[in-house]
Amino acid sequence: MTRFLVLLASASLILLVFGLWIPFKALVAQELLEKAWSDSQTQQTAQRPWPWADTWPVAKLELPELGVSMIVLEGGHGESLAFGPGRVFGGERGPLVLAGHRDTHFRHLQDVQPGYRLRVQNQNRQWRQYEVTDVGIVDSRKEVIDTRQLEDDSVLLITCYPFDSLDARGPLRYVVKARPTQQKGPNNAVAIL
Amino acid sequence: MLLTLFANPAARAGFTTSRRLTPKFDARKRLRIAEGVSLWLAVLMMLFVHPLYAEASEGSEQGAGQLYLMNGRSAWQQPALILDSDFNVQVSGMLAQTRLTRTFKNTSDQWQEGVFVFPLPDKATVYDLVMKVGERRVVGRLEPKAQARKTYENAKVKGHQAVTLEQQRPNLFTSRIANIPPGETVQVEVRYQQPVGYRHGEFELRLPTTLTPRYMPGETITEAPKNWRSGWAMPTDQVTDSDQISPFTVRADDVSPQSHRATIALDIESGFPLAEVTSPSHSLYTHIDGTRVSVRPEGDRVLMDKDLIVRWRPESGREPAAAVFQQQWQGQDYLMAMVLPPDAAGPVLRRELQFVIDTSGSMAGESMVQARTALLRGLDTLRPGDYFNVIQFNSQAHALFAQPVPAERHYLARARHYVHNLQADGGTEMAGALSLAMTMEKAPVEALVQQMVFITDGAVGNESALFEKIRQGLNERRLFTVGIGSAPNMHFLREAARWGRGDYTAIHNSGEVNQALKKLFSAMEAPVLTDIDVRWPSQGSEPNSVPSKPGDLFRGQPLVQTISGVLAAGELEVSGTLPGGRRWRTRLHLSHAAPATGLNRHWARGRIDQLMDAASLKGETPNESSIIKLSMAHQVMSPFTSFVAVEEKPLRPTSEKLESEQLPTLLPAGSHADMLRYPQTATIWPLLSALGLAGLMFALAAALRNRRASA
Repeated sequence: MTRFLVLLASASLILLVFGLWIPFKALVAQELLEKAWSDSQTQQTAQRPWPWADTWPVAKLELPELGVSMIVLEGGHGESLAFGPGRVFGGERGPLVLAGHRDTHFRHLQDVQPGYRLRVQNQNRQWRQYEVTDVGIVDSRKEVIDTRQLEDDSVLLITCYPFDSLDARGPLRYVVKARPTQQKGPNNAVAIL
Repeated sequence: MLLTLFANPAARAGFTTSRRLTPKFDARKRLRIAEGVSLWLAVLMMLFVHPLYAEASEGSEQGAGQLYLMNGRSAWQQPALILDSDFNVQVSGMLAQTRLTRTFKNTSDQWQEGVFVFPLPDKATVYDLVMKVGERRVVGRLEPKAQARKTYENAKVKGHQAVTLEQQRPNLFTSRIANIPPGETVQVEVRYQQPVGYRHGEFELRLPTTLTPRYMPGETITEAPKNWRSGWAMPTDQVTDSDQISPFTVRADDVSPQSHRATIALDIESGFPLAEVTSPSHSLYTHIDGTRVSVRPEGDRVLMDKDLIVRWRPESGREPAAAVFQQQWQGQDYLMAMVLPPDAAGPVLRRELQFVIDTSGSMAGESMVQARTALLRGLDTLRPGDYFNVIQFNSQAHALFAQPVPAERHYLARARHYVHNLQADGGTEMAGALSLAMTMEKAPVEALVQQMVFITDGAVGNESALFEKIRQGLNERRLFTVGIGSAPNMHFLREAARWGRGDYTAIHNSGEVNQALKKLFSAMEAPVLTDIDVRWPSQGSEPNSVPSKPGDLFRGQPLVQTISGVLAAGELEVSGTLPGGRRWRTRLHLSHAAPATGLNRHWARGRIDQLMDAASLKGETPNESSIIKLSMAHQVMSPFTSFVAVEEKPLRPTSEKLESEQLPTLLPAGSHADMLRYPQTATIWPLLSALGLAGLMFALAAALRNRRASA
């Protein structure tokens, strides 16, 4: 009986550690990415945060109302989403589509409301200001993102929904849409200086 | 992986603990040690296996996130239906007959209905549909479209196995397969024929396997949620059926490795000694035996992500300059004649050339490279004295120069610079580009030949509106089209050129650009035969040849006409005006006609097209009843008739539910994805932590109870 309990306890502990390892990794990686991002900006080339990484930082995302800032990685695949939000679509021109895990980097999206600000910095250290215009829930079984139908200057943030679900493979997605704000804020000028 | 690194120290800790448990060596202890060690080994094994498992599931999640479909129980799955296609093509003379067998395998444990939107060659005439379930063959009937739909829906609801095939566009069809039992397959055999292309002494056959997602201009009709569009392509005011012609496009690695593959076999009976058989799209195995050749693409099963193009060329000097075929069908005689005009060169005319290039999102990738190369080649053909302009269009049209400019060095340099910087992005608003090109001020010089070169993949849903626009606004201009990409909309390219009184070509890969364009631009110099008059002997009361009034012929282009009710006797006389005004005349002995099959179907299809054209010229709705009559009489499909095959006995118990699935088509090779599936954006950490915590708490509680019990 004792042995069984020990086994159960250790197995549970291992599960717990594995579970906690994921957000820990997500947290620590962002610190490493900060460095890779500033290197990318100074050298104006994509810098891999660690030599064997499958992805590289492409932008910095800030939600000023929530005091959140994170480095965006290239690609929406599991390898990049583990360390930061991923850029699923977009480049120099056209709409920008970012995805993140609802339980790590993008858990803050549940507090985002229309009217909130959003800032994206590119490799040239230029900030773009956006304002959240829409928050919606879509069913990924029935809908796709048609990037041709999106406005060229819009941003989509995508994460899973509901936020507190244990099911990692649910079909619902939480989508935050933002459009650029008209006047450029003072931060922008500072960033350019 | 990081998880493995993490796992190791824990494992090592396990080992040391178990060794510390071995102070004495009596048998009971030894047993306990063995037990302990094996337990720890089991834990160790789990530790090693877990990262592997986690990696595997993460790997599959990547794909899953992007493209897999899901069923209502929110478990990931690939499309339940696996699609297999088999093309068996028999080419004889100027016609190719294809038996296309599609196999739909249901891999789920539910009854499925498959809906598959797929392309066929742009001049395909479908004439047979058979549903095969195991050994049973159910032959399809041709019914008016609405009635066929009803027949199919009835059968579907009642649990009968059924198949229907509907025409959405002349080169786009929808097939629906009802009640595929779990784990079973249903085969759908479609027979169609298509004319073989003959250009510049070379024969060409094109088998489309996928389509470039089309752009649907206009305002969405349905009241959609303010910002979120469900699915792609909702009906718009300009393309009311856009939901029917916009199958989901996926990448090849997002379907099962067995799915969306085709086996293809071509047997060509050319009638003349063959020099070579080539393909710009695939590597081929060919076996030439005199006038016969059998062709297989390399690799057993070909990925259905680009058109297969096969070209064959007669031995030099043996190119046919004329041919006649005849067939008797239901007591009626059918004749088909092919005449090649002489390769006469006219005087070099000064031209005003407008290049219109498609820079919409569907052109992104390899297509844009080809289009840019094509346009640059076009600029190279300009001669002093010519005028030109470059117009690009995506969501909007933009002209490089406000009006055509002379082909002088600095203008050409500016144009080249402009073309080099073209990027593919945005919608395909072709109408705007056509208006801009057609209303633009003319060059300030008289007596210029006005021509337009349209470089596009033709990925639009509003073809007929565009044809109308071309017809009305073109005036003296001629329109030439250049098709781009792995799966261009050949129907659009051909018809736009026909309404524009010009010629068309298609480029399959960048290596081909120069050769294909050289032919087109040399053909564009001037039509080699105009005012064509075709006289058949003993023509009946009303002329019923198709096409009834042949358009101008360009270099390397033959005249092909099919007629019904004329005996294979006497002479056919073809005459026309050569460049320079000289009259040209030739006679063909019809008694030499070679036997052929499918002429009646070719003729019927031509008549249906004629009726549709006549209606659109008058701005009327087509005469449905006469088209249906023609279609039924010759058993060929039309825009208003569909094939439907229904198994007599119902198979699915009505208590069992029927799922419906849209089969995706593959993204054409070399193009970029425009439509994204929502990625997978949750981790398993909340689940793991919750399980871990629950286990720990349970163990703790049990331990406390044990302690209390023993105390």
